[in-house]
Amino acid sequence: MDPLLLIGAVTIGGVLIGGGVHFIPVGGAPAAIATATGVGTGTAMLAAGSGMTGLITAAAATGSPLELVLLAGGAGSALMIAITMLVGNWVYVWGVGTVPVSAKVTKDPITGLEQEKYVTPGTEGHGVPTVCFVSGVIGGLLGGIGGGLTYYFLYNGLIESGISAFAASGGSISAAAAMTAGIFALAVFFVNAVIASYNIGGTIEGFHDPKFKRLPRGALGCIVASIVIGIVGVLLLQGGAI
Amino acid sequence: MSAAGGGGGTSSVNPIQILALGLIGGLILLYLVPFIPTIGPLFGALGAVLAIIWGADAIARVASYGLGTGVPSIGYMSLAIGIIGVLAGLAGAVIFGSGLELLGPIFGVILAMIVGAVVALVGTKIIKMKIPIMVRCTVELSGAAAISVLGFSAAIAGSLSMADILTTVVTTGFIGVLFIMNTMAIQHPFNACLGPQEDRVRTLKLAAATGFISMAIVGIMGIGYSDIWWVTAIIGAIAWFISISAFIQASTEDAASVAWTGWWPEEET
Repeated sequence: MDPLLLIGAVTIGGVLIGGGVHFIPVGGAPAAIATATGVGTGTAMLAAGSGMTGLITAAAATGSPLELVLLAGGAGSALMIAITMLVGNWVYVWGVGTVPVSAKVTKDPITGLEQEKYVTPGTEGHGVPTVCFVSGVIGGLLGGIGGGLTYYFLYNGLIESGISAFAASGGSISAAAAMTAGIFALAVFFVNAVIASYNIGGTIEGFHDPKFKRLPRGALGCIVASIVIGIVGVLLLQGGAI
Repeated sequence: MSAAGGGGGTSSVNPIQILALGLIGGLILLYLVPFIPTIGPLFGALGAVLAIIWGADAIARVASYGLGTGVPSIGYMSLAIGIIGVLAGLAGAVIFGSGLELLGPIFGVILAMIVGAVVALVGTKIIKMKIPIMVRCTVELSGAAAISVLGFSAAIAGSLSMADILTTVVTTGFIGVLFIMNTMAIQHPFNACLGPQEDRVRTLKLAAATGFISMAIVGIMGIGYSDIWWVTAIIGAIAWFISISAFIQASTEDAASVAWTGWWPEEET
């Protein structure tokens, strides 16, 4: 495989992951005590959950055409983040006893429901309202597609490199190549998720959040980091002393 | 002492000494693996523990400035960078010519540090984070992460070659365990100890504890691959008990009053 193709795939994948994080309602510690909107944990944990699920579903489609791998990755990540937000909402609604509401907008841009009067004074909203949920699913899709893209091109690059350790036996799947590509794609996922997380200062509600305007800056950061990671990743195609 | 958010407080340990311990000590122990085949894996695991202590000190220095994303995120990121560096370094060492495969681990550590520097520069120059020691600490963390992964991989595989690590650590999926476990070992000490009365010696005692319990787990993961897996596991477990006792001792001494430590009560009341 042309090394430039791999670098390009890692770069686009990295930008999709970093961009996707900007859509996900990351609430951080304030959300964990239901004083801010979003899922009550940090980006790294959400990236671990949805990123790994996306890569497992993408890897399950190994050997399929590119679009199917991307779709599988996107579906897996989006599903995982959707489940996380849904179950989180159950806890916020029936456990904590708060209404899912955003303090960043007066009306929910999707449902048009009034938000302001349901926000508990002194807090910045609670739970995952509709707009955040939709935004989060979009973010999961983007991130999963980015992870799947990285995985697909690295897996095929390793197979085509002709190194015996990565050879697929009898037309089946090479576990060594799948695991190497999988762990590399997961690493790309984490690096870009954390860069995006630094860009949003740890928390964001979704595309309606004023912080979302920082997206171009975060995307630029992810491009620079991913190009370097892609160049380093080309060394994998050397296969080591085998 | 330093509080999360304030940053730049004086540390009770010299960062240069910890750096030397982790980088030089870790690499020397790592390179003993291929030269002393009998008990080499044990040295690999010990090298990884040294790297974990170094990483825990580096993360304590950088995270005391308040990253805004919590302590674990930079830990996950550095381990991701470390794994990228290690895999690329081991696989790419052939570009130096045949017979020089042994340069792979050092090449991997250097690659990890370069990627770490780039990511930290992205953070400070493009994202405009205002942490003065961001670049230095991220480079240190990436190096520590790379050595810890290499050390534990060598402890399982019993060698430093790409072929052995690929079949015993990567293909089996242990690399994923190392990813999360080493992150925990590096980020947990400061995440648990941060606060206005944080004492770095106490934090590093906990880092030794998390490192050694990881070593014990790595010993168990080596069943079937390493002949001396039980030595690694037992030494790791004993060293964990000593270090966690020292940490709890230090915590009790520094505390204003102690109601209950989580240990069993010494006498029935």
